Amino acid sequence: MKFDISYTIDALPRLLEGALVTLQVTLVGFVLSLSLATALTVMREATNVRWAHRALAVYISFIRGTPLLVQIFLIYYVSPVIGLDIGPYTAGILAITLNSAAFVVEILRGGLASVPSGQFEAASALGLKGPALWGKVILPQTFIASVPPLVNEFTQVLKASALLSTITIVELMRVSQQIFSRNYHPVEVLLGTFILYFLMCFAVSRSAALIEAKLELRRG
Amino acid sequence: MADKYLELIGITTRFGDVEALKGVSLSVARGEVVCIIGPSGCGKSTLLRAANWLTSPNEGTVRLDCSVVGHAPQGRATAAQIRALNGHRARIGMVFQQFNVWPHLTALENVVRAQMVVLRRDRSEAEAKARQTLADVGLSDKMDAWPERLSGGQKQRLAIARTLAMDPVLMLMDEPTSALDPELVAEVLAVLRRLAEIQMTMLIVTHELGFAMRVADRIVFMEAGGIVEQGPPQELLSNPRTDRLKAFLDKLSLTKLPKDREHAEI
Amino acid sequence: MTLDLTIFVDYGPRILLGFWMTIKIVVLAIALGLPFGVVLALARRSRLRVLSWSALAFIEIFRNTPFIIQVFLIYYVLPFYGLRLPAEQVGVLALAAFGSAYFAEVIRGGIDAVPSGQLESARAIGMSDLQAMRHIVLPQSLAIILPPLTNQMLSLIKESAILSTITVQEMTMTALRVQGETFRPFEAFIMIALLYWLLNEVVAIAMRALERRWTTKPVKGEA
Repeated sequence: MKFDISYTIDALPRLLEGALVTLQVTLVGFVLSLSLATALTVMREATNVRWAHRALAVYISFIRGTPLLVQIFLIYYVSPVIGLDIGPYTAGILAITLNSAAFVVEILRGGLASVPSGQFEAASALGLKGPALWGKVILPQTFIASVPPLVNEFTQVLKASALLSTITIVELMRVSQQIFSRNYHPVEVLLGTFILYFLMCFAVSRSAALIEAKLELRRG
Repeated sequence: MADKYLELIGITTRFGDVEALKGVSLSVARGEVVCIIGPSGCGKSTLLRAANWLTSPNEGTVRLDCSVVGHAPQGRATAAQIRALNGHRARIGMVFQQFNVWPHLTALENVVRAQMVVLRRDRSEAEAKARQTLADVGLSDKMDAWPERLSGGQKQRLAIARTLAMDPVLMLMDEPTSALDPELVAEVLAVLRRLAEIQMTMLIVTHELGFAMRVADRIVFMEAGGIVEQGPPQELLSNPRTDRLKAFLDKLSLTKLPKDREHAEI
Repeated sequence: MTLDLTIFVDYGPRILLGFWMTIKIVVLAIALGLPFGVVLALARRSRLRVLSWSALAFIEIFRNTPFIIQVFLIYYVLPFYGLRLPAEQVGVLALAAFGSAYFAEVIRGGIDAVPSGQLESARAIGMSDLQAMRHIVLPQSLAIILPPLTNQMLSLIKESAILSTITVQEMTMTALRVQGETFRPFEAFIMIALLYWLLNEVVAIAMRALERRWTTKPVKGEA
């Protein structure tokens, strides 16, 4: 069977639609992950509840020690059994969010460590407490310090989204499987898919460089 | 060709737009000790590193005992050329300002390793030679020591022992004492002096003018990528011919330096 | 939902077989991927532009695409060239290729961190670039390389689960089958989750021990 690029080109429109879903899923997952991780970070740094800290540690250890695919299957297959009537999209986004948040918590910890401790003192001297202290002073600086690894995490989520094809979510990977299971030209279709993923990830990491450059200017 | 044992001919080396060396030529005779002095940035280290082609020039030729070490401009080096160069480098010992001893090997192993890998000596021969050169530099009691536990002076002597074990015919030294605490300089200079006494051909870039006066057969003064003056140390330092050398010596307040070799410090 | 402990007993052996397959695949992938990663790292640093750009292309391609699509592509492309390999072998190849790209970057970082004077003094004494790398630079880069290298190895263990999508009978595939037969997904996946986690910890501890052994220097009684 000869390689025929026309199959790649013909598949392109549908693949692009799939890529759009991929981007949507990635964005939603990343934003949720960032929110969750921020909340967990503040909880870890600003409170002293021991069992919560322990639970956080166990959660992080579990996420980092087990494959994302297994985490996805756990949520997808177990939820109906325990009466949670969530569809594949919810299960998929939930899995990705929980997974990514564990890594973002560690990223933010690193970013937080690079915020000079004088900031805490100066801010409380100015009368800022609790939410204001965190919201106006500490967190913004933490995020800025964490931009490079956060951008990298975004690409990780983008790549992870491809695994959602295993639980019937119709993103790029699944679309590609649907196409070649009908036209029996997997190589041509997969090649197009492969290139689309590469372009998306590459674009993200290149814009990372631009973002970093802009931030350098801002920090002065 | 004993009087031109090491020949550097028309060496021009550029780093980007900057010409660090401008068509410099220098010869070193067999058994001669030549010290190169000059202000920082004058190109003396670059010239030294051309001698073993470590920093390859853009133009010029280097010959050791009449065989070509390197010839620029040069296209892609062939395997044979690379082998020949490595062969030359094995016969040319180089001592660096930053010592560059290998921290993951003991002192003895530092001296043994290159002998086995480059000269293909077997371990017993290499170790015997290593013990001898380490003794020559006064490090017999440090053979099993890890380099991180050695003082700067000991590290440099280890580096010297390492090159001596290769039975070099020429030694290149790039500011061998500049990174040392003052009290450790003497021990290294003593080793170098002994090398000079056994007629080792040496090309030394140094700031230690007292040492140069005592040991060098010829001093070469460089500035801005070229050789300004050269001659026997006595002449050069007490009667500098060019204004630039005079200015350089004045800057180092050499009026305090003894006027003849016998009274020199080292 | 109550926990059905009999599942662990009845299907435990099958899961353990899958576990064994996972271990074999990961070990082979590292055995192939690590040396190739060294080759890629050296090629990346080469002065020959053909070499450094090819290595760069390989690395960027494997780092900027999901592993699952690499697996699928390799799985479907190989028969094109007449190579009909069993899924397990395809899996090992894909995992090794993926791993090598990440290993290469870690190794390159370690090599770059070794002071340049080390390479210089090795060259100045007559060693070839290869000898200099082998005897002087790479050994010193170990201390820097080992922690991130360990992380990459641990990530390979987790990525291996994706091979279940091309029917490799590793641990995740086995769990999928078990839950398909028993309709007890929690027991099935928790079993393998714990086993993955266990493998993760064992490898992490082993690598840390190796780190200590290779990067601290014995003191043979002060000389």
